[in-house]
Amino acid sequence: MLGFGKTQAIKLDRDLFDRVKKIADIAGYATVEEFVAHVLEKEMIHFEDAKSDEDIRNKLRGLGYIS
Amino acid sequence: MLKSLFGGRKSYGEPIVIVSGLPRSGTSMMMKMLDAAGIPIMTDAIRTADVDNPNGYYEFERVKDLEKETDRSWVREARGKALKVISWLLKDLPDDNAYDIIFMRRDIDEVLASQNKMLVNRGESGGENDSPGDEMMADAYRSHLASVRIMGKKKPNWRLIEIRYDDSVRDPAAVARSVNAFLGGKYDERRMLTAVDSKLYRNRKDQLPAAGTAG
Repeated sequence: MLGFGKTQAIKLDRDLFDRVKKIADIAGYATVEEFVAHVLEKEMIHFEDAKSDEDIRNKLRGLGYIS
Repeated sequence: MLKSLFGGRKSYGEPIVIVSGLPRSGTSMMMKMLDAAGIPIMTDAIRTADVDNPNGYYEFERVKDLEKETDRSWVREARGKALKVISWLLKDLPDDNAYDIIFMRRDIDEVLASQNKMLVNRGESGGENDSPGDEMMADAYRSHLASVRIMGKKKPNWRLIEIRYDDSVRDPAAVARSVNAFLGGKYDERRMLTAVDSKLYRNRKDQLPAAGTAG
């Protein structure tokens, strides 16, 4: 995913960038970009997870809030 | 963009007051507060009061079909009124209305405990082996709520205020003041207070079991 594909730059607050860089170094990531991409991929699973959407739908249906 | 150049939200007509949030986060109580304040309520009273909501649900049945229906033009009939729409269905509201959204927030563990009790009361507790645990549901709900917040920042026809359920019970006067100010300051806050019944705040976090909050 990283490396040879097309990339886009994202601006980060300087303090946040310094903290990210520090953690990326400690955790052994090759680059800050690799660390940020990994964290974002992990977080986005929650938003893109169709299974959790279906879990919510089932719950709401059981509670009588959707048809 | 054009909307903001040519009248902004006014071009959507009179706003619809939406009371939203996860089920069991105080949406019915807020509807009752608005009702007491004199705001017209869009409800068909089909879902009647029960042990989970002794003061009634203030629902409009057709809302439940919002996700499936293709013709949602009926929502326009709620202009100038208050309509209860659970957070999951906010994404399905048509974009040709202005929405003043009162978004009820409650601790996720309390929400789940209350929902689980309601499922039992509705005889829907079967199939537990297939359903996700509370921890997974809490994660799913948190992601969902984050999505709603993101959506709220993108929609030019939305205004949104977040109200905490525990604040509503602890300091209803302050909450009534906030809600009234959000809606233009034209309603009777003292009448709103009469709708708050602290005895109905039943699944409090400090009284929940440490794990497996059902029941």
